[in-house]
Amino acid sequence: MNGQSEAGFCAGRGDRAPIFIADAIIDSQIKKVNLENYKGKWVLLFFYPSDFTFV
Amino acid sequence: MAAVAAVQPYLKALNCEVMSISTDSVYAHKVFKETSPSLKKVNYPMVSDRTHGISRAYRVLDEKSGAAVRASVFIDPNGVIAAKLIYPGEVGRNLHEHVRILQGVQFAQQTGQGVPANWQPGQPGVIRDPNLIGKI
Repeated sequence: MNGQSEAGFCAGRGDRAPIFIADAIIDSQIKKVNLENYKGKWVLLFFYPSDFTFV
Repeated sequence: MAAVAAVQPYLKALNCEVMSISTDSVYAHKVFKETSPSLKKVNYPMVSDRTHGISRAYRVLDEKSGAAVRASVFIDPNGVIAAKLIYPGEVGRNLHEHVRILQGVQFAQQTGQGVPANWQPGQPGVIRDPNLIGKI
């Protein structure tokens, strides 16, 4: 993903955030989300193991 | 998820957008949103990482289960990771601390000051002066 697959990359503080385009549910519709469109804003990503569980 | 929605106005005020990401399908996300009363107020994108590509790229994929770990990643307006929190699978996040981290990082950027333990907005920062080392 974006040429950042090298072994030493650990997606930590100071690293470039890997860009992604993916399907998402927005307002109950399936839409594409592109992280690149969020430049100029802070973004907070909440990864979680599974739907129907707590965040 | 509702806990995230509850702090979203505070994050918005800090110019911060929110997304949730799991390796579930968008179909599971849709039913999750429609059936869980606590998700009624969720209006941020619920991203499906069906290929595991996003979780793997952010180094938060548990390869054994094929699921993402409970992790929060703060990305600054230039697209650089400012903070990353990894939570135990069995413990939910402290969303107020997420807001405080963002407030603290922005305060530090704006003032050049340090942000001490348990700092809250409105409290003074720490001036970084070598002459003060060992005196505070």
